[in-house]
Amino acid sequence: MALLTEEPTFDRPIAGQSLTAELGGRPWQNAPQYSTVDEVLDFYMESMSSEDFMLQAVDILEMGVPITTLANTMQMANVMEGVHSIDTGMLALPVIMEMLMLLGDSAKIEYDKGLEEKNPKTRDSLLAKFASQYEEVLDETDLEATIKNDDDEVQQEIKEEPSGLMARRD
Amino acid sequence: MSQPGNPAAAAYINMDIENMKEETSAKSTGLLGRISKNTSTGLDVSNPAVRVAKQLKVIRKHRNEINGLTD
Repeated sequence: MALLTEEPTFDRPIAGQSLTAELGGRPWQNAPQYSTVDEVLDFYMESMSSEDFMLQAVDILEMGVPITTLANTMQMANVMEGVHSIDTGMLALPVIMEMLMLLGDSAKIEYDKGLEEKNPKTRDSLLAKFASQYEEVLDETDLEATIKNDDDEVQQEIKEEPSGLMARRD
Repeated sequence: MSQPGNPAAAAYINMDIENMKEETSAKSTGLLGRISKNTSTGLDVSNPAVRVAKQLKVIRKHRNEINGLTD
């Protein structure tokens, strides 16, 4: 007997799909291009000092992308390309962030560091405050009169509709 | 943190370079004496994180200069 379950989703990787590529066929499965933190930092310093990068980075920061997100994306991309390992990338993250902040400050733009908590946990006291304010507004509003006014307006609109056979309807 | 799962913010905050020990150079007394760096500050330069912190401090100093702040 078939079990009544939710429909299966087929939009998923097949089990073992990650093993279908030949071992070492991916850049991150090989030895990284730079293996020490100093080499990785030199790589980032050099690449981030180019004018092209500076212009692009300033544009991205101006769009409101947080520095944490940008820095993490940069280092993850380089891990995927086999430039450095994820360990050295993690160690280099603060320097990448500081460099991006330096670029932002040099360009005198407003940027989001991404270090602040964007959605602080909603306090119960705050919820209670809004609930009481809402109740006060409800008490002050004469609901019956409002509903009656709305009904009158609707009736008026119905009456104004043309009734002739040849009348044009919207 | 900006996003759950983004380690950049934690990595940045945990560097804590404001409280990093300063390296002081010890003056030698002789005329031909070599000025050597004092290694007794507790900083382990063989630690990659310390080397990163040093680089970070240099960039921070430059950034503070741009912003007109003092250390």
